[in-house]
Amino acid sequence: MGNKVILLNVRDDVATALIDLQANDAVTASLDDRIVDVVLTQDIAFGHKVALRNIAKGEEILKYGMPIGRALCDIGVGEWVHVHNCRSHRWGFQNDIYGLQA
Amino acid sequence: MDIVGYLRPDGQIGIRNHVAIIYSVHCSMVVAQKLRDLFPVGTQLFGVPSGCGLRQGPFNKVTALGKHSSYAGALVVGLGCEGTDAYMVAEEISKSGKPVEAIKIQDEGGDLKAIEKGSRILVRLLQHASLAERAKMTPGDLIVGQECGGSDATSGLASNPITGAAADLLIDAGGTYMHSETSELLGCADALAARAVSDEVARDIREAIEEAERQSFESGRFSWGYGNILGGLTSIEEKSYGCLSKSGTKPLQGVLRTFERPPRKGYWVQVGEPDSGSFHGDPEGINQFAACGAHLSYFTTGCGSTAGGLIPVIKVIANTHRMQLIEDNADLDATPIIRGEKTIQEMGEELYHLTLQVAAGMLTKSEIYQHYEA
Repeated sequence: MGNKVILLNVRDDVATALIDLQANDAVTASLDDRIVDVVLTQDIAFGHKVALRNIAKGEEILKYGMPIGRALCDIGVGEWVHVHNCRSHRWGFQNDIYGLQA
Repeated sequence: MDIVGYLRPDGQIGIRNHVAIIYSVHCSMVVAQKLRDLFPVGTQLFGVPSGCGLRQGPFNKVTALGKHSSYAGALVVGLGCEGTDAYMVAEEISKSGKPVEAIKIQDEGGDLKAIEKGSRILVRLLQHASLAERAKMTPGDLIVGQECGGSDATSGLASNPITGAAADLLIDAGGTYMHSETSELLGCADALAARAVSDEVARDIREAIEEAERQSFESGRFSWGYGNILGGLTSIEEKSYGCLSKSGTKPLQGVLRTFERPPRKGYWVQVGEPDSGSFHGDPEGINQFAACGAHLSYFTTGCGSTAGGLIPVIKVIANTHRMQLIEDNADLDATPIIRGEKTIQEMGEELYHLTLQVAAGMLTKSEIYQHYEA
């Protein structure tokens, strides 16, 4: 096993877990010249995202170099980023049917 | 690597050399199938799968496919009373300069006589194909499609980005690349419009994606479900960008709305012609690329679809478990990305190299198994 997370664009605020990861795991997200070492503060499952920096409430969160939503609260580096703290400003209501409204 | 293709009378160069057997109505399909079964080597079968009224969509599709660079010639098999007249289909395809013949089962006097006459025509066409003039091709002559089906979490993380990286290399070499599935690109209008080569193209792609968004939300059928959230996707946009990662980074030349070859090289988005006669499954998507002139298509699949199409399909799988199960059907093992052992750029280069090998004649799994779904 090489890298445990994948960074899809050098501008991204998040990396994606390539295996199920546990709190306190140290991971390295790298792409081209950018290398970010992060210690996870929570368990993060395969396919889920970890914050690579401290993200303030209301900020856009980038993956693939594109905004996938806004932070609903302050998010610390190493935290799990998902529907509980990130929401599409355009179609976030689509998650409400699953009881996921913030 | 030398790519030596097959020069067609209209100047196209094909990477394969088949004879097309085309049924012009559902009712002539059985005779056409029997002809294919008599001559399985060097032929491909497709046609109008539906009823007998003349509809422009299916007519446009089968004639565009008949003109494809893979075909040295074509036999059109009609029943006789259908609207999509076999002679009309043959006449349209013959505008490409290749030999096309048509038979009507009713005129010949039933199945057996039609099969006998059709067999003699196929013998001639197959011999003609074997004499096709050869011509050198460059990567810049290639047109490549990208189909994405049976998606899972690895599609947006690995296999789609790999095809995007390969697309960038192909376009740098002067080639042409296309994908479709605007219904999977909800939220990507700004991103694609920003890559458009002109204001007009920006407007076209916006309209195409906004139309897909409207249809999706009005019908309530859009590609977003609780399983996506469980899998780690936070928003529709995130899923769409994972899909869009198959597009690479090059400028968008335009939107292809009809079955025609891209008028310029580079990156295109294809929007299936309405009423083309069948639902949009993955083979249909691949064959729509073929109808737009694509020589071959990538097919990224996390769940491991085994389907193919009329053109060679390079199947890319990044899901380790699925790859182990379905390795016999895969052409490129993209699981090293998910194991964190290779980068997207490295595997994009491998895919590009494989693309040139396939163009030069290497058979893909879909061809070896004759997954010529149509």
